[in-house]
Amino acid sequence: MNSIEEKLWNYIDGTLPVAEQQAIALLIEQDEVYASKYNELLQLNNYFAAIELDEPGMAFTYNVMEGIRTEHALKPLKATIDKRIILGIAGFFILTMAVLLIYALSSVNWTGGSGFKMPQQLTVEATQVNSYFKGPAIKAFLFFDVVMALFFIDYYLRRKSIVKEP
Amino acid sequence: MQSKLSDIELITQTLGGNQSAYADLVKRHQRFVFTLALRFAKGREDAEEIAQDCFIKAYRSLSSFQQQSKFSTWLYSIVYTTAMTSLRKKRVDTASIDDDESYIQIEGKPSGYDEHNVENKSRSYYVNQAIAQLLPDDATIITLFYKGEQSLEEIAQAMGIEANTVKVKLFRARQRLKEKLERNLKHEVNELI
Repeated sequence: MNSIEEKLWNYIDGTLPVAEQQAIALLIEQDEVYASKYNELLQLNNYFAAIELDEPGMAFTYNVMEGIRTEHALKPLKATIDKRIILGIAGFFILTMAVLLIYALSSVNWTGGSGFKMPQQLTVEATQVNSYFKGPAIKAFLFFDVVMALFFIDYYLRRKSIVKEP
Repeated sequence: MQSKLSDIELITQTLGGNQSAYADLVKRHQRFVFTLALRFAKGREDAEEIAQDCFIKAYRSLSSFQQQSKFSTWLYSIVYTTAMTSLRKKRVDTASIDDDESYIQIEGKPSGYDEHNVENKSRSYYVNQAIAQLLPDDATIITLFYKGEQSLEEIAQAMGIEANTVKVKLFRARQRLKEKLERNLKHEVNELI
């Protein structure tokens, strides 16, 4: 592997230590074999450096960016929903229920002695209940609840199926 | 028009959510990535597919790019791995890679108007033709060394081998390229006669 050719290629590439580089330069000056081989390799080096890069199709960049966009769009919903949003919604419901429970319990007349009695504010006539479900806000709220319930069921079933997988 | 921002600046912008910065990065490196892919693929369509795949993979793992090397070196390592995988997959139902003729990718003969341009173009044509007849590894080393502005160490990093091995491989690749070039030119002269 220590042929003249190899030494000369290393000399052309400039990968030799300084001392060796100088020694080869001297050999090229004094030795005809080295000189002619050096000129031949130098010409080849110029040929190799003249290679041209190929050009891809006009739509190449567009296709790459389209591929990236498609990949983003195909990401499952599960991965794109921020966990903090889910925790926030869950927290809101837990807080609402806790506040209602505390309010209800604090309004009960514990010293009455005649058994449990619902506070006046919380007792509603059966006919009144119907009116609570008529407003658009309530409908939207219920719809949201249904979506959330479906989401959690889906989450639960997915986790179950993952656990089942070997 | 290509962006004047550096690769690192474009990467920072991409990571910040600016997708057009990545498009600029693709435009800047597409010719080289495509040429490298052509060293492994059997046709332009396959090469485009490999090159596109490389850019998508690079985008996906852009956040893991440590900036300890040049972006081009990191990108070429993706190209080399992707192209090798693609080549291995295609080996099953195609001819042996030792078949020299299977890598000829040269398009039309060179054309030009002024004499100097003609000489340069034909020189480039014959060298490209000879490179296309080399094995993918040899062709990749030659391309990375002469056109990729990569040092031996960077080529070693891109190909996942030692720098000394690259040096030996480069020497052998140059010898083989020289042989192919001589053989092709001899053939051309015989055809002309």
